[in-house]
Amino acid sequence: MASTEERVRKLVSENLEVDGQPLSADLDFNSSLIDAGVSSVDVVAFARVVQDEFGIQFAVEDCTELTSLAALVEFLDARAA
Amino acid sequence: MSSSDVECWWSPLKETGDLTVVHVDLTPHTSREASAFSWLDEYERSRSRDFLNDGPRRRYVMCRAATRALLTSKLSCRNEQLSFGASWYSKPFAILDRRPAPVSFNVSHSGDHGLVAVAPKGRVGVDVEEKIVRHNLDSLIDYTFGPNEQAHLAKESGTGKVDLFFKLWTIKEALIKALGTGFHFDISKIEVPSDVRMGTAGMFRFPHLSAVRWRVIYLGTDEYVAAAAHEVV
Repeated sequence: MASTEERVRKLVSENLEVDGQPLSADLDFNSSLIDAGVSSVDVVAFARVVQDEFGIQFAVEDCTELTSLAALVEFLDARAA
Repeated sequence: MSSSDVECWWSPLKETGDLTVVHVDLTPHTSREASAFSWLDEYERSRSRDFLNDGPRRRYVMCRAATRALLTSKLSCRNEQLSFGASWYSKPFAILDRRPAPVSFNVSHSGDHGLVAVAPKGRVGVDVEEKIVRHNLDSLIDYTFGPNEQAHLAKESGTGKVDLFFKLWTIKEALIKALGTGFHFDISKIEVPSDVRMGTAGMFRFPHLSAVRWRVIYLGTDEYVAAAAHEVV
């Protein structure tokens, strides 16, 4: 079974883009989505995608956990534990 | 350096009461970007290197330099006297000679457009978004808008629906940025009043802060959607 990081990496490559270009799937997980240039609209939309993928309640304010993808993986693993 | 020393890449967009909003032209421009970089302090120059791509780096550098130019003008100070701190929820504030400056400001950028809002008192927030059509608009509407907003959006279709979506989004984001919480506040818990939805300006109160009023101004153009929110004090 794919790890949380692998699943998030796939969601990133399928759903996020910056300046019309897909966000690289080999993105540094310690970097911020904002630093990568992802807009607030797309960060919130991505949170909805994460909610559907992982079958969890993921409120809009939880989007603040998405400041880095590493933080998101940690957040999702904690919810699953 | 003063704002008169360089070709400006920012221009007045809106002056209402004591709120000033300027537009920042963020199209790629080598000499402007070099001028902008020269305005930044060492921390900001280091911060600019954290950005992974040229576009986000350019937006940060050019908006921060325009913010410095605007604030030094408003505060009648030198660029070297100005630095920035951040609140608990990462909202930047200006520091003048190591003390909080008597000014509120907020910055937003999207694509080739940036906005900087400044006021001498009262918290301010601003948001700008390029109108990029998203395939997941309905999902976002369910997720981030209240029942009255959703009902209004359901009456629209095509371009009208996209325009209303971004209008409501930018107003809400301007409000939570003015409040200082950003997305730590759930935007689905507030609704843009109908008079603001239908018009270009109006008043707003957060349910948990009913004593505080916020003036909301819609600033959309053919090229981008934008809004500002300013605390009435």
